[in-house]
Amino acid sequence: MEIRTDSTSLDIDRHEGNLIKELRSSSTKPVTEPSGWLSEDLKRNIFLTTVDNVLNWGRKSSLWTETAFTACCTFEFISLSSSRFDIARFGMEVLRSSPRHADLIITAGTLTWKMAPQIKRVYEQMAEPKWVIAMGACGITGGIFADSYSVVPGYNRILPIDVYIPGCPPRPEALLAGIELLRKKVEKRSFLQG
Amino acid sequence: MPELITVGAAISPNLPWSDWQFGFWIHLLIFGIGIISLLLGSVIIFIWLERRLVGRFQRRLGPNRAGPLGLLQSVADVIKILTKEDIVPSRADKLIFWIAPIVAFTPVVLMLAVVPVADGALLADLNIGILFVIAISSITALGVFMAGWASYNKYSILSAMRTVAQLVSYEMPLILSMVGVVIIAGSLSLNDIVKTQTVPFIVLQPAGFFIFFIASLAEINRTPFDLLEADSELVAGYNIEYSGMKFATFYLTEYCEAIVLSTLAATIFLGGWQGPWLPPIVWLLLKIGIVFCFIVWIRSTLPRLRIDQVMGFAWKFLLPLAILNIFVTSIFVALWPETPAWLMGLTNLAILVAYILFWSKLFKPGGKAVAV
Amino acid sequence: MLSEFSLIALFILIVMGFATTLVLIPQALKKIGIVPSKPSEVKYEPYECGLETIGETWVQFKIRYYFYALLLITLDITVIFLYPWAVELKNLGSSSLGVIFSFIGILAVGYIYAWRKGALEWK
Repeated sequence: MEIRTDSTSLDIDRHEGNLIKELRSSSTKPVTEPSGWLSEDLKRNIFLTTVDNVLNWGRKSSLWTETAFTACCTFEFISLSSSRFDIARFGMEVLRSSPRHADLIITAGTLTWKMAPQIKRVYEQMAEPKWVIAMGACGITGGIFADSYSVVPGYNRILPIDVYIPGCPPRPEALLAGIELLRKKVEKRSFLQG
Repeated sequence: MPELITVGAAISPNLPWSDWQFGFWIHLLIFGIGIISLLLGSVIIFIWLERRLVGRFQRRLGPNRAGPLGLLQSVADVIKILTKEDIVPSRADKLIFWIAPIVAFTPVVLMLAVVPVADGALLADLNIGILFVIAISSITALGVFMAGWASYNKYSILSAMRTVAQLVSYEMPLILSMVGVVIIAGSLSLNDIVKTQTVPFIVLQPAGFFIFFIASLAEINRTPFDLLEADSELVAGYNIEYSGMKFATFYLTEYCEAIVLSTLAATIFLGGWQGPWLPPIVWLLLKIGIVFCFIVWIRSTLPRLRIDQVMGFAWKFLLPLAILNIFVTSIFVALWPETPAWLMGLTNLAILVAYILFWSKLFKPGGKAVAV
Repeated sequence: MLSEFSLIALFILIVMGFATTLVLIPQALKKIGIVPSKPSEVKYEPYECGLETIGETWVQFKIRYYFYALLLITLDITVIFLYPWAVELKNLGSSSLGVIFSFIGILAVGYIYAWRKGALEWK
C-alpha cells in the first residue's frame, strides 16, 4: 500500500473527483448478489451441521451495527434503538464505529455519488462475515431523487444487499421486520461456503 | 531452589493442601485455574448484567432473546467474535500488533493473585500486596499504547496518547488514596488489611474511598472518563484496527479491569470476605457485585467529560485531596492512637465535604474551559 | 518470601499462555475454514471513516504529553517514600510526622510551580 502525500487541497479534490467518476462509470448495473453466497448445488440441497447451527445462532444473536448512516432514515433507526422499540432485545444495541468490529451495515437513506466511494470503502473494510440492509425508498431505487444527477439510484449499484426495507421512511416496525428477515437469512448460512 | 518449592512455605496453613507432598504445585493449579475461570465467568455474567441494567435505567428491556432472560447473550457475542475474520493491516507493526492484547490482558489477571477470598486463601500472600497491585496495574497502559501505535492509524494513536496521559494522571490519586488505609492497617498485605477491618475502612476513610473510586473509574476508562472511546471524536479508540479475537481480548481486558478494581474496592474499603452467616467467598462476590452495579449506575447517569476537564480534575482536585487525606489520617494515628472510629470517620467526611464546597467555588460554570 | 514470588512468576506464565492461546484460536479455526478469510488490498489499509490516509502516521507528537510524564515521575517518588513510612507509622510515632511533612512540603513547592507555569493545563 502506498501512502498519499497530496499537499494542496486542489490535489485532494482532483483525486476525489477521479474516484467518483471511476466508480460511476463502473457501477451502471446492480450488483447481482442477494443470495450469492449460496452456491448452485447448495441452493437445492441445504444441509446444516451442528457447527453451523451454533455459529449461526451466535452470529444472528449479536449483529453489531456499523454507524455509517447517510441520511434521514437514520432517525427511524435511532427510534428503533431507544426505549419504545428497543433493538437491544436482539443484542443489537452495540453500535461500533469501526468496520473491523461490525457485522451489519444499515444503509439508511439517500446516497449521493460524492459519498459513494466512502461507503463502498467502509463496506470493503468490514471483517467477514458481513451483511447489508438497504433501508428506505432512496436506498432501494433512489426514491424521488432517482433521476437526479447526483444521487446513486439504489445501494445495490455499489454494495450487495441482503434485505430491502421499503418506506419513505420505513417505520421502526418495518425495520424490525427487516432485521427479523436478516436473522432468518443468517440462519441458512453454512460455513462451508467460507 | 527445589527445596524452596517443595517446602511450600508460601502457602497459608489454613488451606488443606498446605502439608501435602506436592502442595506447592496443587496450590498453583487450584488458584491459577480458579482465578482465571472465576474471572471469565464473572465477565460473562457482568456483561449481561450491565446490558440489562443499562436497559432498565433507560426504561428498556435489554437483551432477552438469546437464552432464558438473555443470559446467553455474552456467549453468543463470544461465538460470533471468535469466528470473525482476523485483520492485520498491511502497514502495521506486525509483531507489536500481535502481542499488544497479551500485554494488556496479563497484568489485569495478575492483580487478583494477591486478593484473598477467605482468611489465608490467596495465590501468594505477598507482604507488599498493595505495592504489587499498583506496579502491575500500570502495565496495561503499555499494552494499550502498543496497540494504538502498532495499528498505523491516526485515530488509534491519538486515542492511545490520550489514554496514557489519562492513566498516568489518575494513577497518582489512586495510589495516594490507599496510603490512608495502609497507615491505619499498618500492613501492605491485602490479607492483613482485610483481617484488620473489624469496621470496614469506608467508614474510617470516606475521602479515601471517594478518591479511589473516581480514580479507578478513570483507570478502567468508564463513563464519565471514557474519552478513549469517544465515538464522536476518535471513531473507536485504540482498538480501531483490531477485529475478531484480538479485539475481544481488549474488550475482555476492559471488563476484567472493571471487575478487578471492584474487587480491590471491596477488599480494601468494604471489608473483603468478612461478613456474618454466609461463606467468605459469597460475601466477596456480593460486594464485588454491589460495586460493579454502582459503576453501571454512574455510567447510565453521567455524560462524558472533556479532556481538559478530566486532566484538571485529576491534577487540581483529586491529588491535593489525597495528600490532605494522608495528612489528617497520619496525624490521627500518630498523635492520638486511641481515637474512636466514629470520630475519625466523621472528621474525614467533614474534610471531604468542606474541600468539595471550597473547590466548587473556584470552578466557573458555563461553556468556558475550566481554569483554576 | 522467595517461594511466594515464584508462585507469582509461575502464575504470570500461566496467564500469558492463556492469553496467547486466546489470540491464536482463530488462526487454528481458519485452517478448518470456520473463520472466513477474504483478503483484499483495501481491507488491509487503515480505516479513516472511508477516506484514504494522507501522509505518514508515525510522526512526533505534542510536548504536552511529555509534561505529564515528567510530573508523574516527580510525584511518583513521593509514593516510594510514603509507603514504607505509612506501614511503620505506628512504631515510628509522632517524630516521623515532621520529617515526612517537610518532604511533602518540598514536593509541594514543585507542584505549585508546575501549576503556576501552566503545566497542568491541557491545551
